Amino acid sequence: MTDERELTLTVNGTERMIEVEPRRLLVHALRENLDLTGTHIGCDTGNCGACTVLVDGEPIKSCLAFAVQADGSEILTVEGMEELPAAAGELHPLQEGFHEEHGLQCGYCTPGMIIAGKALLDENPDPDEDEIREAISGNLCRCTGYQNIVRSIEYAADELESRAA
Amino acid sequence: GHGRGGMGESVSRKEDQRFITGRGNYVDDVKRPGMLHCELVRSPHAHARIEDIDGSRAMALESVVAVLTADDLLEYGLATMPTLMDDTQDVLVNDKVKFQSQEVAAVIAEDRYAAKDGAEKVEVEYDVLDPVVDAAAALEDDAPVIRDDIEGKEDNHCLDWETGDEEATADAFANAPVTVEEEMLYQRLHPAPIETCGAVGDYDPGKDKLTVHMTSQAPHIHRTLFAQVSGIPEHKIRIVSPDVGGGFGNKVPIYPGYVVAAAASYVLEQPVKWVEERSENIQSTGFARDYDMKGEIAATEDGEILAVRTDVLADHGAYNAVAQPSKFPAGFFNIFTGSYDIDTAYGSLTAAYTNSAPGGVAYRCSFRVTEAVYLIERMVKVLADELEMDPAEVRRKNFIQPEQFPYESPTGWNYDSGDYETALDKALEMADYEAYREEQRRRIEADEKKLLGIGISSFTEVVGAGPGKSCDIAGVEMFDSADIRVHPTGKATVRVGVQTQGQGHETTFAQIVAEELGMDVEDITVEHGDTDTDPYGLGTYGSRSTPVAGAATAVASRKVRDKAKSIAANELEAAEDDVTWDRESGEFHVVGAPERSITITEIAAGAYMNKPAGEEPGLEAVNYYDPPEMTYPFGSYVVIVEIDRETGEVDFEKFVAVDDCGNRINPMIIEGQIHGGLAQGIGTAMLEHVTFDDNGNVTGGDFMNYLLPTAMEIPEFETGHTVTPSPHHPIGAKGVGESPTVGSPPAIVNAVVDAMAHAGVSHVEMPMTPDVVWETLKESGLAQQPA
Repeated sequence: MTDERELTLTVNGTERMIEVEPRRLLVHALRENLDLTGTHIGCDTGNCGACTVLVDGEPIKSCLAFAVQADGSEILTVEGMEELPAAAGELHPLQEGFHEEHGLQCGYCTPGMIIAGKALLDENPDPDEDEIREAISGNLCRCTGYQNIVRSIEYAADELESRAA
Repeated sequence: GHGRGGMGESVSRKEDQRFITGRGNYVDDVKRPGMLHCELVRSPHAHARIEDIDGSRAMALESVVAVLTADDLLEYGLATMPTLMDDTQDVLVNDKVKFQSQEVAAVIAEDRYAAKDGAEKVEVEYDVLDPVVDAAAALEDDAPVIRDDIEGKEDNHCLDWETGDEEATADAFANAPVTVEEEMLYQRLHPAPIETCGAVGDYDPGKDKLTVHMTSQAPHIHRTLFAQVSGIPEHKIRIVSPDVGGGFGNKVPIYPGYVVAAAASYVLEQPVKWVEERSENIQSTGFARDYDMKGEIAATEDGEILAVRTDVLADHGAYNAVAQPSKFPAGFFNIFTGSYDIDTAYGSLTAAYTNSAPGGVAYRCSFRVTEAVYLIERMVKVLADELEMDPAEVRRKNFIQPEQFPYESPTGWNYDSGDYETALDKALEMADYEAYREEQRRRIEADEKKLLGIGISSFTEVVGAGPGKSCDIAGVEMFDSADIRVHPTGKATVRVGVQTQGQGHETTFAQIVAEELGMDVEDITVEHGDTDTDPYGLGTYGSRSTPVAGAATAVASRKVRDKAKSIAANELEAAEDDVTWDRESGEFHVVGAPERSITITEIAAGAYMNKPAGEEPGLEAVNYYDPPEMTYPFGSYVVIVEIDRETGEVDFEKFVAVDDCGNRINPMIIEGQIHGGLAQGIGTAMLEHVTFDDNGNVTGGDFMNYLLPTAMEIPEFETGHTVTPSPHHPIGAKGVGESPTVGSPPAIVNAVVDAMAHAGVSHVEMPMTPDVVWETLKESGLAQQPA
């Protein structure tokens, strides 16, 4: 390939070097260059949020960013959730919440939804239902009707709070 | 349930672990050594002759490996493929494109970016023809003929169909004291699963075997169809449907992309991946609905329904590729007499070809039951308003009564069981119906800014296709299957012929086995989707998994239990007749001596290590279940909306859903199915519409324009249930997955109409976006200007 750039990304705590064309989308770099296939692609217009990851703590839709833009960044994908301190070597409370509250069915929106939930709880550890719904309004789910996803995030907020106490 | 994950327990899902950690395995996650990528070149025109296709500039790109056109596929007989409805669909087109985004050529390249570069460089010369994207216009005499590839075809007429007794129905209407009529369009929708369709074709020349990973709801029937079309023998084709990111009927048909990926892999002897983008998914894969219906009811002055009549104009797109049992060209639309005891009914339908993508049956429709239920539940509301009766009362007056089941409908359905009034009463009570009726009157009298509307739908579904004598897909009878193997240590592997797309089969099918064999649900693994290892089945759609494969799982479990009984007797040193199985404890014990008991774990060891004389070693069974009848779940939904008279915005005040799917395997999973289906019903009623302009351009063909509901548009649902088991089903269970999407749109529209009925509004077309409602408010004199 012509015109490839060398990038350094810290993904889920591990420094990774990849060579990509400038036009390569971050979502493809994560999925195809780094084999982190938990992050999904559900649309071509930036609406669905299945590709949501945290870049330097901010939730972004990784289909709307070029990989080169993330050079030098710290990225969190769903595969890194279990490594977070709050997971304590097990599932992260958000992952646990989605399982306990049946917040997923086909599982395709789930990774992006969990990351969106993480971004919300980082900002606002005790959100009410309206705040949760608004925070995940950039993430489309076709299976659950959202109600149990709201419960899942509430579960995680409660769990994180009780652990912090 | 026995407390270890059997029937009726809200077991949390076995499949969650991999999905919440990003370890699911969907088609686009599949990676093979040497894998190439396929991008399809699609038509920018809705209707045009192809003069020339030139792939030379694409081939000149370094990473492009091949450019395929219909001419390349002709050699293998794959330029066209048969549909499930006796029609033929182009895989790649070399004569005339018939809808925008139709597949014209394929570029195979080393990576997906290069494939896209290549696709842009394929030059296609078109001679543009007049398109027709409206079914009524398509049937006019001077309409351009779309299907001139069909010999002798000189119009766009696709098919006619009728049901019921035309003469008796006409008599009933001629003599009825009251008749009502309404026209309603069930607009074109798209199931839009968040994962689009895709495939990885992987031909292994060493083994002469073609493996295709694909987003398939019906992998076995797809294997058979691949074999029939390609000539590759069926034992040399393996279809794997891995984790599927939602199906909703979108992943039942075979699409050109699958065929191209498989064919390209066969020709190039390298794996080839094809994954479509969202806009391709909406614009070219199976749509849903598009029934333009006239409904009529004949009744007495006091609301007894005497007859129902309907006439439908159906848009089938450019090919008749409707995914449904072959003898049902309008699916199960003739369930349109609904939950009511009606003496006579008649329905007629004409379908047209148009310059739009094929489809029709998809999106939780249970083979056109969405349309049928919409028709009857809307018409009952129209009748109630005409008679100035409470719509709940009209329903009560006409319900088929519990003692009438099994009930034969005037269009030939044999309803298994039901108790409709109990479900309606429960829903009305949960919704606080009477109080809202009072509040509604108060607001009208006070001329308040926000109108209140109450909508009801009391629907009957028909799911579990189906009895082999009437239901087949491409000739294969619509049975399904389960294969249960208990291992020496008492754990079990269960394989089924259906294919989950998120409905939780890996958990619920294990629960059926756990219940039937007294096992712990954790000790059972359920597998599906691999045609090399799983028993043949017809797949998952039409809410058929529980009715058909669920039945097969119970029957196969009982076969295992029968054999286990003889081993139990041997181990307990008792006569077989003296041994009994206790569902409560999940053990066999000697009659009258419950302490002399044995579990399946001990029995399994005996089957491999100490088998009784005359028995084969091992402990396993298979069942292929041909259902005697369909199952008929039902429900009553009550929706309360508030309409802002200044803006036309509709808010959900209350959303109550009472479902009855007979015996419930996993209440938590059922609730999740209901929530998701109701959200799709709200999308249907309020947001979603695949639209076209006069040139045949798809104007509602991506997520900027085809609007899925987000968490902001979906209210909190209140769910309830009653239990009326299916008498013919081995565990009394009925299907349920599609009920919420079937039942909710008419409840929502009825609510919006109800809010404006006092001003003479009898119907509002879907999707009821604020501008549509605002227009209705204005026309009926209800609109208010901001103060």
